[in-house]
Amino acid sequence: MYCITDEQIEYILSDIRRNGVDTEDLQLNLLDHICCIMEQELKENDDFERFYHATVKRFYRHDLREIEDETINLLTFKNFYAMKKVLIATGACSVFAFIAGSAFKFMYWPGASMLLTLGIGSFSLLFLPLLVILKTREARAASDKFVVATASVVGAVFSIAILFIVQHWPGANVLLMSAIGLAAFVLLPAYFFTGIRRPEARLNTILVSIILVGIIGLQFTMVRLAPRSSGSQRQIKMDNYVQAESSLRQLQSLSPASEDAAAINTLCDQVKSLVLNQAIGQPAIPANYENTQLILNENALGREFAGNGVGVHLLATLRDAFSKYTAAGGNAALQQMISRSILRTEPSEAAKLYSNLSLLQSITQLQTQLAIGENTKAMAAK
Amino acid sequence: MIFSSELIKGTLKTIVLKLLADNSKMYGYEITQRVKELTSERIQLTEGALYPTLHAMEDEGLVTTEIEYIGKRVRKYYKLSTTGKARSKERISEFADFVETMKLLLDIQPKTA
Repeated sequence: MYCITDEQIEYILSDIRRNGVDTEDLQLNLLDHICCIMEQELKENDDFERFYHATVKRFYRHDLREIEDETINLLTFKNFYAMKKVLIATGACSVFAFIAGSAFKFMYWPGASMLLTLGIGSFSLLFLPLLVILKTREARAASDKFVVATASVVGAVFSIAILFIVQHWPGANVLLMSAIGLAAFVLLPAYFFTGIRRPEARLNTILVSIILVGIIGLQFTMVRLAPRSSGSQRQIKMDNYVQAESSLRQLQSLSPASEDAAAINTLCDQVKSLVLNQAIGQPAIPANYENTQLILNENALGREFAGNGVGVHLLATLRDAFSKYTAAGGNAALQQMISRSILRTEPSEAAKLYSNLSLLQSITQLQTQLAIGENTKAMAAK
Repeated sequence: MIFSSELIKGTLKTIVLKLLADNSKMYGYEITQRVKELTSERIQLTEGALYPTLHAMEDEGLVTTEIEYIGKRVRKYYKLSTTGKARSKERISEFADFVETMKLLLDIQPKTA
């Protein structure tokens, strides 16, 4: 039996390392294996190095690194099929959430926003990353892997940006610009120059690139370059409403309202409390709202204003009360005001036309006109 | 005749499980030699396939390892764990069924003596 010296062991080990086997466990396994072969097969007078290189060649097809790669592959992708199943499941979930969410949104049913958020979330944070992991494994060239990875990042950032836009979360514009920038300056060039080099893929690459430019261009058209500071806009809208409300209270305090007018005002206040409760969690805007950072977000009316909700009933009662009031009193200005207010629509349709803020404003305008009429009557009586 | 690596690829794990079930502990070179010996050199495991599989089996918890120092080098012995023992039985009976099915599918007549 041939006896391997320590120097020879060092030589083999450093050669294994040099050839790209980095896992220590694997290095030791291969070293022992090669030593065993040499001890068995090498004769005393044979050339050690030549025999070593001839032996190690039997281990691989192209280079020794293959063994390391195969090991990593087996360790990383032992759950390859499970991952494929999860990929399909998350994809199906997103598609279902998108379709159901869109249908709910179209029908004004509650839960639409939650479903759409779920759809975007599972699409961008589960489906796309899993897709990258699986697709980069299939892609051979490093450039293909890069294209797949950037495409997924663009997709994920873009869909999250859309989510931020519809939820009025801060940073939506930055996200959208990042997605567009990444698509235009990284994804598009990478995709184009990878594909154009392959004769068989040239035409498709050109066509898809043109489509990509079109999509990026369309998206960029929609981007606001000078970002509107949506926070202060919301503040202004809220201030306007609070001012109108305060003027109303002053008008109402000038003279005591008639019984019918008082009943109408009670109804109006009920509707407003309902809306405010949903928007800011309290029935009225507190006097010190600037200090408490309270913001009234302009949003769609809640489920109270759909179908058979309390809001719909209140609006119907309010409409009847107003028509009774105008029939008795004949106030032309109030008549006209009503025909331009929320009461011109069917109560159940109000949520399709009015946001919470515009409903509040509309009701306050009506009450203001009512108070003016009441005050005029009181002055005439004097 | 030496069997093609394609045929061996799907059964490598089963072969290793069986060998480890019959021998309390083995190291890589020993496994290749034993397979050669048992099959009269008709099946030759390649190092490039054997070691990745052994590492994956260790990761899955089918085998445990033991280290032995031989001068400057280290020898890693592989042993079946409890799950490995159960898996070895499963895989062997699965393969036996597979062979029966293949016989039917490929219409292989049993050799008459």
